[in-house]
Amino acid sequence: MKFDTSGLESHGQLVGASDGLFSGFPTAPSFEIPNTTDFDCFQKEAIQMVKPAKGTTTLAFIFKEGVMVAADSRASMGGYISSQSVKKIIEINPYMLGTMAGGAADCQFWHRNLGIKCRLHELANKRRISVTGASKLLANILYNYRGMGLSVGTMIAGWDETGPGLYYVDSEGGRLKGMRFSVGSGSPYAYGVLDNGYRYDMSVDEAAELARRAIYHATFRDGASGGVASVYYVGPDGWKKLSGDDVAELHYNYYPVQPSVVEQVMVET
Amino acid sequence: IFEYNGSAIVAMVGKNCFAIASDRRLGVQLQTIATDFQRIYKIHDKLFIGLAGLATDAQTLYQKLVFRHKLYQLREERDMKPQTFASLVSALLYEKRFGPFFCQPVIAGLGDEDKPFICTMDSIGAKELAKDFVVAGTASESLYGACEAMFKPDMEAEELFETISQALLSSVDRDCLSGWGGHVYVVTATEVTERILKGRMD
Repeated sequence: MKFDTSGLESHGQLVGASDGLFSGFPTAPSFEIPNTTDFDCFQKEAIQMVKPAKGTTTLAFIFKEGVMVAADSRASMGGYISSQSVKKIIEINPYMLGTMAGGAADCQFWHRNLGIKCRLHELANKRRISVTGASKLLANILYNYRGMGLSVGTMIAGWDETGPGLYYVDSEGGRLKGMRFSVGSGSPYAYGVLDNGYRYDMSVDEAAELARRAIYHATFRDGASGGVASVYYVGPDGWKKLSGDDVAELHYNYYPVQPSVVEQVMVET
Repeated sequence: IFEYNGSAIVAMVGKNCFAIASDRRLGVQLQTIATDFQRIYKIHDKLFIGLAGLATDAQTLYQKLVFRHKLYQLREERDMKPQTFASLVSALLYEKRFGPFFCQPVIAGLGDEDKPFICTMDSIGAKELAKDFVVAGTASESLYGACEAMFKPDMEAEELFETISQALLSSVDRDCLSGWGGHVYVVTATEVTERILKGRMD
């Protein structure tokens, strides 16, 4: 039994009516599913294991000049840090970015899949897909897999004809449009700094500093976030990586160590 | 439950000296509450105990130990030897065998003729004496690896400090639940040096 993968098929047939000669044409990928009694919930336990693993901090916000996207770079497996240099901002195409939170494999695969669908849309319609459309495509695909254990908490940020766009999409099938989002275990800390310092009319540098600061504070407080704070900017001509600062250095930049008086105690022997 | 607060403690033996180091983070699972939490306590000038594991049990156990040691000092009119102290801790922990303290002590001291002594225990009092180094806490596996690689016998105090600091910092950098700085005590026959390490604050 093959699962319904109509969400993964390309638009229409690119060749004429099937007449046997083209039976070798590549069909869309489909996933085999296991034979279980409880098809919809067989991965419940796997989900519970993966659930706390949204150990990360990502954030994005819209401001006057465009969209600012930032993330940390730590991957944790429970208490163990498996990597301090994970790329959590995924480049879908030259004018759209997606952030990764949750399962790394899930996010990477579905973002790449989204990139493919966006490019096909461009070729079929002779114009770029809007951020609204791209996020809707992703949300619909993820909704089909709802309850099966995918763990994806992503933000799609981009610049299209209507200006900057930012959507939050997750593996429960939710899709929200907004001006400011932060996702991951460090998001409460990032929200605190972000909400406090946010103004719509900031310059690119001010916005970058706000994003960097918010990620830094989240890495300080949250054990599952850390590594390098990368900041990307999405403007009318596409995205640009602004900075990737090691969080340890940021700490000592923001809070330099005050040399304290060293006391020496002499004790009678 | 040992991973509720997060901790990392290591003690190493040198030439007529020892060093004991800990991280400084106090957290509640993933959230960091404090970055100046003290895990290593002085019992007397030549005896230190570091307590890894649940922070509340570590503090209570420390208070009980200080009480017992002060009584001992009053009765015997001298300080406790590290070996005796280790047996005391072991007995106290085993008293609570069926409702234990959730902490792992690391004991380090200078015994007769200033011979360094280190040992660690599990949470119900099983002593593990070692000649080179002992580790405890959430980062203990990384610490074992780092110490094994960096340790050399008979190091002087300065070199011992460098070694133990590097081992601690590199191990806690692989652990989400410990770090945020380091606290190192190096104890020789004549002096005790306390140093605070600048570490990765993430």
